[in-house]
Amino acid sequence: MTIFLCGEEVEEIWCGIYDAWMSRLGHEQVRLEPAGCNLDLFCEYRQVITTPEKAAKVTDSIRTRLSESCYEQIYKAALSQDPFRGDKIYRFLILAFALGNGVQNRLQLPAVYEIFQMNRNLTREYDHMRGFTRFFQMQEGILLGKIGPKNDIITLLAAHFADRMPQENWILYDCGRKKAAVHQAGRGWVLVRADSALWEERLSRETDEAVFETLWKTFHSSIAIAQRRNPRCQMNMLPLRFRPYMVEFEGTPENRAKISE
Amino acid sequence: MLLQETMELQEKLRILSDAAKYDVACTSSGVTRGGKKDGLGNTFASGICHSFSADGRCISLLKILFTNQCIQDCKYCINRRSNDVVRTAFTPEEVCTLTMEFYRRNYIEGLFLSSGILHSPNYTMELIYQTLYRLRNECHFNGYIHVKAIPGADAGLVEQVGFLADRMSVNLELPTAAGLAALAPGKTREKILAPMRQVQRGIAAQNVRYLESGEKGYGLRQGTSSRIGMANSVSHPGRNVWLPESGRTGRNFVPAGQSTQMIVGATPENDYQMIRVAEALYQNYDLKRVFYSAFVRINDDSALPVLAGGPPLLREHRLYQADWLLRFYGFRAEELLSEKKPNFNVLLDPKCDWALRHLEQFPVEINRADYHTLLRVPGLGVNSARRIVAARRGAVLNFADLKKLGVVLKRALYFITCSGRTMYPIRLDENYITSQLIGTEHQKSWELEHHASYRQLSLFDDYHIAAPVTSADRESVRTGTL
Repeated sequence: MTIFLCGEEVEEIWCGIYDAWMSRLGHEQVRLEPAGCNLDLFCEYRQVITTPEKAAKVTDSIRTRLSESCYEQIYKAALSQDPFRGDKIYRFLILAFALGNGVQNRLQLPAVYEIFQMNRNLTREYDHMRGFTRFFQMQEGILLGKIGPKNDIITLLAAHFADRMPQENWILYDCGRKKAAVHQAGRGWVLVRADSALWEERLSRETDEAVFETLWKTFHSSIAIAQRRNPRCQMNMLPLRFRPYMVEFEGTPENRAKISE
Repeated sequence: MLLQETMELQEKLRILSDAAKYDVACTSSGVTRGGKKDGLGNTFASGICHSFSADGRCISLLKILFTNQCIQDCKYCINRRSNDVVRTAFTPEEVCTLTMEFYRRNYIEGLFLSSGILHSPNYTMELIYQTLYRLRNECHFNGYIHVKAIPGADAGLVEQVGFLADRMSVNLELPTAAGLAALAPGKTREKILAPMRQVQRGIAAQNVRYLESGEKGYGLRQGTSSRIGMANSVSHPGRNVWLPESGRTGRNFVPAGQSTQMIVGATPENDYQMIRVAEALYQNYDLKRVFYSAFVRINDDSALPVLAGGPPLLREHRLYQADWLLRFYGFRAEELLSEKKPNFNVLLDPKCDWALRHLEQFPVEINRADYHTLLRVPGLGVNSARRIVAARRGAVLNFADLKKLGVVLKRALYFITCSGRTMYPIRLDENYITSQLIGTEHQKSWELEHHASYRQLSLFDDYHIAAPVTSADRESVRTGTL
């Protein structure tokens, strides 16, 4: 068994798939794993080297030989929180290239089901985050939104907000992965690594947002009907893990968890 | 009545959102519209929920009244004329500021603007129009707007507002004319249905225009639209025939359709009457949604019922379930209920209930049955039925596969076969299946009904042990030989 070690990013996963596939060792003889996993006996380990050319070859062949919708599914799977997503995509691609387009409907096949499940999980979180992300205004009118999603959905979210708020300067910051999407009014957005001390300092600066935050909290509490109070239902619809990032739940007793920064 | 205009914005927001909270229509669905380069906002057909309040309801839109001042005296409403509450009103600027600033921070998906009737329906509608006009044209707000059409306002005004809003709604409030007469003295069926018909015709006329002009996509192009003002709109009040001829501003007329709401449990109408009305609204008025709102007794009025156990939440839940069956599952109201059986089963959901009364149509073979037959199986929904149809092209499905496809087997297993076999040996018998299903369903309906109260299980009360204690019992307890 030869194990290919690849990184977490989408491009690194494409390159891992390329290397494993092109090694010509046979699909049963190779495996993709993230770096830092437990080591297996009697295995050869190879580090994957990431180059844009290899990644482009993989995406091109998925898009031309399968379909654009299939590529979208695989791309989302590559953003998933599953640590073994690289290998799962690899297994799926073996099937997909053998059976052709339309394979994504055959959920009874384990490899397809894995991709479907990762997609479902990611899409649900994305749908949640589109609504639950909160921005607050910093100096010079820049909006800052801090999020802590399980899946790596910052690119999807940034595209969503770029369409929604083209005339605003905003930063979307993933607290767990230390990535930020930075958008400039009237221009596009870029994804940047935000793990330096400068970023920490810039993002922790306090702002005088009291006015609209208070108004929003007022609205949030007065819109509830007391006779229908149902915290269980609220918890089902809006799980606790989202609440540390949401201004309306600031200081509530169940919201003790701190934002991991 | 004294209208307090010089009040702090926060206090106004508290009062006017508190007054709007009994309106249930808080969805931002029905229209997908991409962002604009110079504007703020876009919309999605699926709608986006931005938060959930303590009652578990979604907060999608900034749901406020323009004013809680009202000339009507509807018995169930907190803002009725005869109530002694603080009255206030927003200014159009305040509504715009709140909407824009909340939207920028991603608190909300758009604005839901309703209003009590200040002075007259026309005056109120005019205020709403001014607000929306400012929001769309001066603030360049491109997000979702849901607005109430005020019954009794001029057709021309309703038209103008319709071109600025995404969704319009007129609340039916009570399903029968008798109920309306009893609780809402100022409203009549005709007055409520007139603007509903107008909006429907407006949307229909717009669709016809698209077909004729051969234009694809949404939104009237500038240039093709001629300016039609209030004076030009054709109005025949007697027959409610009115057609908007074209967009004034290059916008669509009510692109997300219209909705309405009915109060559940304030008047003695039964469930059958409610869903018959809902079905008629879907068929005759092309409504997108009918909302049901469990009656909350806010006013202490002798005309209102006192409901033990609070708002009828389970009944509301069953009505929503039936509503989904009408809209997405191809059911008709008469199939679910009848004059003889006018109310929903408390213990079973409407679909299971229907299936148990029609066991002759089951079991359904998963690998052969068509999509519409699959949709009628309890435990299968639109998603899982679609997945089954797609997945079985490549292979024969078994029960383990169905679980992966998202079928709820604990309900479905009594009604389906895979390759001619049921999952377990099952008797296709109404009583047997009912008792099996109720075991799982009972718990849920119990939770809905008694969501806040828990109670110690009592051997004597719950198992009806009523026999008197004999001396032999006492002896056996003492000696430990029960």
